[in-house]
Amino acid sequence: MLNRVLFYSLAAIALAAVTFFVTRNMVIQKAPVKVMSTIEARIVAGAGSWNACFHNQVYGPRTNAARRANPDSIISSMAYDLSDGPVRVAGETWPRYWSLSFYQQNSDNFFVINDLELAAPSFDFVLALEGQDTDALGGTKIISPTAKGIMLIRRFAADASDMPGIIANQNAMTCGPA
Amino acid sequence: MKYLITLVGAVLIVAASFFVARATTVKSLTSQNSIFETFEHVNGTWLYSDKIGAAAASGVERARVALGGPLGLSAKEAVYFVTQKDDDGARLRSQCTYRVTGPKIDTRWWSLALYDTITQHYVPNAENRSSWNSVSVPRADDGMWVIHVAPTPQETPWLPSQEAPDKTFELMIRVYNPSDSTRARLPNIDLPTVERVSC
Repeated sequence: MLNRVLFYSLAAIALAAVTFFVTRNMVIQKAPVKVMSTIEARIVAGAGSWNACFHNQVYGPRTNAARRANPDSIISSMAYDLSDGPVRVAGETWPRYWSLSFYQQNSDNFFVINDLELAAPSFDFVLALEGQDTDALGGTKIISPTAKGIMLIRRFAADASDMPGIIANQNAMTCGPA
Repeated sequence: MKYLITLVGAVLIVAASFFVARATTVKSLTSQNSIFETFEHVNGTWLYSDKIGAAAASGVERARVALGGPLGLSAKEAVYFVTQKDDDGARLRSQCTYRVTGPKIDTRWWSLALYDTITQHYVPNAENRSSWNSVSVPRADDGMWVIHVAPTPQETPWLPSQEAPDKTFELMIRVYNPSDSTRARLPNIDLPTVERVSC
């Protein structure tokens, strides 16, 4: 009888422990994906669709920005979905500071490049999944580890007087299916 | 009947463990300081991590950063330092006045930003200002700079905290494209002092 009680007690503890750690790991793994999905939905709402750019055109801090957002950084963003093919982002850089970064669906920043690393003050990137044919598309090919993710372009403004130049720079950009 | 009781018991244990694990994990990940719990201390009260946006981050580090400060740049491009305390180790509070004195930072661009530790967003203020950067801040010939953090207007450069008393806030320094010499000393570069002037 005592052995049976001990067996069931140990089995119950083991079952509870396994369930606890599996659930905890699941929550930890899914949290970044959920955050990314939430941000993607906001970008899509602003841009009108996936694979289109949304441009912040206001200088200074914003209440609707991400947590601990950088107020000096004027952002162009795109939520991408490569399920139907590669996506192109092209345009001119910005001299104070410009960088283009891609984030895969688990929130890792898998690619970043800034204006000083480019050979010219212009850029033309084609984002694709492994195996997607981009030979005829030109541009610099970047492989995304996941079909969905986020692209950010950061341009720094010293103050509000930089904004007309930045807005013109944003409006000259190309974002969309390649 | 015995098997049915065993099965029901197992289901109840799994369900209870699932909900307890989910609730405690979400709570620990979303607490206001969760993002900084795996950061290392540098220069006294400043916190630093090179795992932001990094593939090398653990699952917990990745989740905490995603929830507390998503879409940061990897250390290849930028590094981040944050403090929630003054030089004496006291929490930064909205009703106090601080003098932040910093050295020249050998980098392409840096900025100092202020965030409410509860909302983790900027503090609304009449100046609509939550940061100063390496271009906008006045600097001495040797590159030194001073920023006044206070709830009421100060001499320029003033970084407004909020007039509501007893709110906690944090200061974050972003360093973009650090020079090779700065990068070689990371994370132990010279960081600003945060001196409490009055309270």
